[in-house]
Amino acid sequence: MTKIPYTPTRRQLLAMIGQVAGAGAMYQAMTSLGFAAESGYTAEPGLQGPRQGRRVLILGAGIAGMAAAYEMRRAGYEVKILEYQNRHGGRCLTIRGGDRHTEMGGHEITCDFEGDGFFNPGPWRLPVHHRAVFDYCRKLGVPLQPFIIKNNRAYLHSSRAFDGKPQRIGHVEKDMRGHVSELLAKSLHQGSLDETVSAEDRDKLLEGLRDWGVLDRHHRYRASNDLGGVRGWDTRPGGGLMAEKSPSQPIDLSPLLQSGLWNQLFNFNSYSFEPPMFEPVGGMDAITDAFAREVSDVIQFNARVTRIAQGDGGVTVTYEDGNRGLVQEETADWCICTIPLSVLVQLEVDCSDEMRQAIGAVPYASAFKVALEFRRRFWEQDDQIMGGVSYTDLPLVQIAYPSYGFLSEGPAVLQAAYDTATGGRNFTYSWSSMTPQERIDAALAFGRQIHPQYDAEFMSGTSWVWHRVDWSLGCYGQWTDDLRDTHYKTLCEIDNRLVLAGEHCSHIPAWLEGALLSALDAIKRLDQRENA
Amino acid sequence: MLRTILCTGVFLCLAVTNATAQDSAPTAQPQPGAALDALLQRFSESPDHFTQTDGAALYQTTCQACHMEDGTGDAGAGAHPPLAGNPKLNSRHFLAGVILTGYHGMPRFGPMMSDAQVAAVTNYVRTHFGNDYPDPITPAEVAHLRPPGED
Repeated sequence: MTKIPYTPTRRQLLAMIGQVAGAGAMYQAMTSLGFAAESGYTAEPGLQGPRQGRRVLILGAGIAGMAAAYEMRRAGYEVKILEYQNRHGGRCLTIRGGDRHTEMGGHEITCDFEGDGFFNPGPWRLPVHHRAVFDYCRKLGVPLQPFIIKNNRAYLHSSRAFDGKPQRIGHVEKDMRGHVSELLAKSLHQGSLDETVSAEDRDKLLEGLRDWGVLDRHHRYRASNDLGGVRGWDTRPGGGLMAEKSPSQPIDLSPLLQSGLWNQLFNFNSYSFEPPMFEPVGGMDAITDAFAREVSDVIQFNARVTRIAQGDGGVTVTYEDGNRGLVQEETADWCICTIPLSVLVQLEVDCSDEMRQAIGAVPYASAFKVALEFRRRFWEQDDQIMGGVSYTDLPLVQIAYPSYGFLSEGPAVLQAAYDTATGGRNFTYSWSSMTPQERIDAALAFGRQIHPQYDAEFMSGTSWVWHRVDWSLGCYGQWTDDLRDTHYKTLCEIDNRLVLAGEHCSHIPAWLEGALLSALDAIKRLDQRENA
Repeated sequence: MLRTILCTGVFLCLAVTNATAQDSAPTAQPQPGAALDALLQRFSESPDHFTQTDGAALYQTTCQACHMEDGTGDAGAGAHPPLAGNPKLNSRHFLAGVILTGYHGMPRFGPMMSDAQVAAVTNYVRTHFGNDYPDPITPAEVAHLRPPGED
């Protein structure tokens, strides 16, 4: 066997650079390798730990609180978590058949799924560049499976175009590419771009546009067998003496533009939704369950915090102990508070005026989901949609197909409606004003316009409205640039003995990664202050 | 555009109800056509701004999510305050201002509602749920409350 020349792994290479040239150079190299550019995140928080016994009280057993507890205990701090609910996980949760929740207003949300389908009301998919989430999944043993975010066979749908008939994502994408290529080729031929494009570049462009847009030799975007091989077929190539193949027909440019479907395609453009994406096997709560396996011994459930008092010597948190019906106090050297701002603003908190203003400044976004269980996977069996997401201009906004259990017989669950206020649409408010039954009725009424099989196959449904959750009063901190300029830094700073953490203290609101990075940054700064 | 959608929805719904009656197959059990139609009216015809003009309809499609059907709000770890018997509603300017700009965790509705809509829902809240304030706010007054730079 020939000896393979020594090639260092990226980690080894970085360690070498760090030893020889120092941390600054290492960081620079990490950026060059595409490592650190996003956040300065490093896989190990590198806490020094306290020089003497130090107690840290953490408020909230969501992912930020549990990650903070996990890392601080590893570094030698004594930690305790107070959690209002009788469960860990916070907004990272999964609903399965048999689950019951009473939402604000007193309505009971039931979930009577009979199969093994599940519903993630909060986070539900992980982009690969959310490195903290992936590192913890690796460290804590959370198995992941691919999450199909973009499926060219899923639909884009406009109730106002193509007689309400949904179009395949791949068709819209390839037709827009073809038409735009044809237009650009036309301008190049007419010389209208001669001032911007050199003659050599023009030739390269024309050559490339022919391949990219699948244009014919006259640089026109037309149905052809070549295009069939890219866009698909009306009659697919077969075997033996089956019918002769025939290519599919492109949609004309004008109706495509007028339909709005091109704009729907941009839903997939976001860096957050770049394929491949992943999800924990069996439900998103696998991630928070994994953290809980590490820290459940320090979580006290049913503890409703009412006051956070602090002085130079430490913090005192008052809470109602729901287990014993008593008002209790906990003291600690430091407090990490992950309570959503929407709730925190209603508590009595000792902090600077600036921080109090910051806590009260951030609105919490409206968001909702409806999930429906059907007797069979008609989207796979009838429509050949295996995973992915369809978008529509109907108020349900999107339908997500399961990325697990393909081809199985029996019931399966669709995430049948989902939107957040970030999308700029007002539909989420209307969904949030409905009773659980009304949400299911509306999801069926709209969804059957895309999948007529709904009526014959529907079994039961469930839903979630984040503004009807008493421990979050909304889904996530809905920052604007102006709000960030005024309040973000103050919100994240250590206020004497208190520091806030959670997705609201991050530039990645609503995502697990934001909550984790916020927690890791907060504990690092606490540890530095402890050792200053 | 939503009008068309609603009609289609209702039509299909009726068709399904008939099919159910004939086949007695276990299918979706949608609400009767009129009730479903009323429910779907909860959605605005445009995603960019609310299209309901009536105070009650605007309340139903926005405020009701948190302050509930009867204006009582609800409380647990945190609270959505009641609008029934809430002394803060004494000021029509305060309530209209909260709707326009939001308050604490509550999102702002100014960008998605016209002055007339904000006035309509303000006046609705101040004359229902046991409230009986005699001084309605006008759209012109709402316009003055809008933050600078917002139409």
